[in-house]
Amino acid sequence: MPYHLSVFLVDNKPGKLEKITKALDENKINLRAMSLASAGDFGVVKLLVDNPEKAYEGLKKQNLTVTKRKVTAVEIDNVPGALHKIICKVSQNGINIEDCYGFLLNDGKTAAIVLEIENSPEVEGIIKTLGLNILDENKLYNC
Amino acid sequence: MFWQEDVETLAQDKLQELQLKNLNETLQTAKKSQFYSKKLANIGFLKNLSDLKNLPFTEKQDLRDAFPYGLLSVDLSDVVRVHSSSGTTGNPTVVFHTEKDLREWANISARCMYTAGARKTDIFQNTMGYGLFTGGLGFHYGAEKLGMMVIPIGPGNSQRQIWFMKNFKVSAAHILPSYAVRLYHAMRDSGVNPKTDLNLKIFFIGAEPHTEELRREIQDLYGVKAFNSYGLSEISGPGVAFECLQQNGMHIWEDYVIPEIIDPDTLEVLPDGQDGELVLTTINRQAMPVIRYRTRDLTKIITGVCPCGRTHRRIERIKGRTDDMMIINGVNIFPVQIEKTIMNIPEAGKNYIIEITKQNFMDKLNVKIEINDETFGGTLEELERLKAKIQAKLKEETGVSPNVSFVDRGSLPAAEGKAKRVYDLRNEKK
Repeated sequence: MPYHLSVFLVDNKPGKLEKITKALDENKINLRAMSLASAGDFGVVKLLVDNPEKAYEGLKKQNLTVTKRKVTAVEIDNVPGALHKIICKVSQNGINIEDCYGFLLNDGKTAAIVLEIENSPEVEGIIKTLGLNILDENKLYNC
Repeated sequence: MFWQEDVETLAQDKLQELQLKNLNETLQTAKKSQFYSKKLANIGFLKNLSDLKNLPFTEKQDLRDAFPYGLLSVDLSDVVRVHSSSGTTGNPTVVFHTEKDLREWANISARCMYTAGARKTDIFQNTMGYGLFTGGLGFHYGAEKLGMMVIPIGPGNSQRQIWFMKNFKVSAAHILPSYAVRLYHAMRDSGVNPKTDLNLKIFFIGAEPHTEELRREIQDLYGVKAFNSYGLSEISGPGVAFECLQQNGMHIWEDYVIPEIIDPDTLEVLPDGQDGELVLTTINRQAMPVIRYRTRDLTKIITGVCPCGRTHRRIERIKGRTDDMMIINGVNIFPVQIEKTIMNIPEAGKNYIIEITKQNFMDKLNVKIEINDETFGGTLEELERLKAKIQAKLKEETGVSPNVSFVDRGSLPAAEGKAKRVYDLRNEKK
């Protein structure tokens, strides 16, 4: 199962995010997508990268607090309503989404929707019933 | 069982006889110093030990004012070493030792470590600072006297500490409690599990007031027994009081010092069992005896006999110092209360600092806690929950509503000597 990295961001202050991007740059890590959420004076940055293992080690070397979190990534058509279909299905099944973001694939023809869902391994099966393609690690990290 | 059975198990009445005799000798020696020749001018031979309470106190400021030689009680040519405590303001305090002083100090240090179970077959790593700070050299000579193989590595450089521990199968170490936590994380980062990869059995922890909770945490992390140590440079250094295998209070060596507990406000001597300030009189030192020295350390004398068989009374773990009490908007708080609270929350990091600031004329208590991989699950909700929990528990313990924030590991100032936990920034301009 693919995963993204969750990095603890202390002190929402100038230069804090830079420490993270610098570590990625130095380790030649390509960023696929990211999201940032903050709660006042601290926050969490999620990073989807081409080489998560290497990125994990590189970030840790900078004394950053990092954890790996499993994600489910779905490929959808880049048309109105496509995301809505998935979200409906997931919520109908009573599954809570911790985090969600997306990015374009195939020159914008399709999009990858990254879902972070805790303790619900059945989510993949549920999404597959919609006839959608679940992206494997290789595809999610590299294509 | 005992390093010096006859001394350690001497009946209390015999111990008091010995104390009275040595106290009178000490007073005669002390009077040779410039400081005590005036201070004790009217004091003659004491008939009873209880007469001690009529003698004047000696304070830290007296030591500073008498810098450098005002308390020296022997000829300077008989002095073989000087130690000094950090003087951040004004003169430092200096403490002198004759060759016999060093021998006696090494002996009680050896006694301490033996009491905690160390034997000559142990390999001992001394991670305390060598030099003017007494923590390093004090236990160094005690450990040699006991017969252990000593690795005088000094503080810092965690990778080297781990390398020595591993390659020499180190079984005993003298370590600051704050550094023990830091070193554990360095071990984890290097893939070393202290419980399975190392041979550590005994930690001597001291030099910083710490809580029972932190001791347990250190024991759990390393799979060792950690023994609390008490001492202060004005008396000689570490070794003044030490825990036995019972780990229930520290035996204060009553052939070395006479302990009293006083009410820091009224200055009256309190009976055993009551909380107050520890006052110490040395009765086995030549170069610089101190009489009724106010340690500022808050503790009590534990009543009752210790099952280990030692007759020397025990003092409780230091609760704080009369001068490290923080007053936050009129509420009295000791740093150990905050430590205790943090240690009781398993998912909270174990390294922290306390900052006191002023906002709109009100004092604000800020607690900064390092976050680590074990405690960071990766979601914002978890962090918010943890923050709220720490805040609530701290409020419960101290009565003050603190500001809790998380910081990255390694971003708090690293302790070379004693960990500085409290930063009072109220008088600093922004």
